[in-house]
Amino acid sequence: MKNRLKVLRAERDWSQAELAGRLDVSRQAVNAIETGKHDPSLPLAFKIARLFDMPIEDIFDDGETA
Amino acid sequence: MILARKSVLGPGEARTRTRQRRQMIFLGVSVVIGGTIGGLTGAFDQGDGSLFSGDWDKLKLNPAIAVFVSALLVIGFIALPLRGFGQIDEFKRENNFIGFTGGCLAVLAGFPIWAVLYAGGMLPPPHAFGIWLLGFFGMFASYLIARIRA
Repeated sequence: MKNRLKVLRAERDWSQAELAGRLDVSRQAVNAIETGKHDPSLPLAFKIARLFDMPIEDIFDDGETA
Repeated sequence: MILARKSVLGPGEARTRTRQRRQMIFLGVSVVIGGTIGGLTGAFDQGDGSLFSGDWDKLKLNPAIAVFVSALLVIGFIALPLRGFGQIDEFKRENNFIGFTGGCLAVLAGFPIWAVLYAGGMLPPPHAFGIWLLGFFGMFASYLIARIRA
């Protein structure tokens, strides 16, 4: 699944460690999500959306059209 | 002029450092427990048996040491992993599940394969420690592969 996590993080000048701490996950988890190797669970996706104050679908793109 | 280093950690980075420190302590405790188990069994082993050859009747350990080591094994193989699962995030938990699945499959497939190869005269008979090693290394290899791929 594609996502804009890396861009959103860069816009705030956050390191992966900074984002990981704010999400209460490991830095490796943030890296895996950013590189598309791990799809976050629904609770974590909501947490990410709340942190960036955006709807989930504006951050994550599953490639499906409505 | 000395370049100013970023010395003030953000709240997220501080939390990440705390998490990493906790993991290092966890790892350190695991190593100490593992080392104690190995050291005690090595120092107080009174028999001529070997886990690798399966000659169980020759294994001998002082009963008090045996009880103490078994308590450490409970901590090392049950309490610590369960505590660890509670501390790790979903990504690492997924890798752990892959590791445990690999270990389980290694035992489920490894024992019958070993048994038929023994029947064919190519291997010694299956024994408990060998099966345990299959599970352990199957788990370890699966975990490593999951981490490398992620």
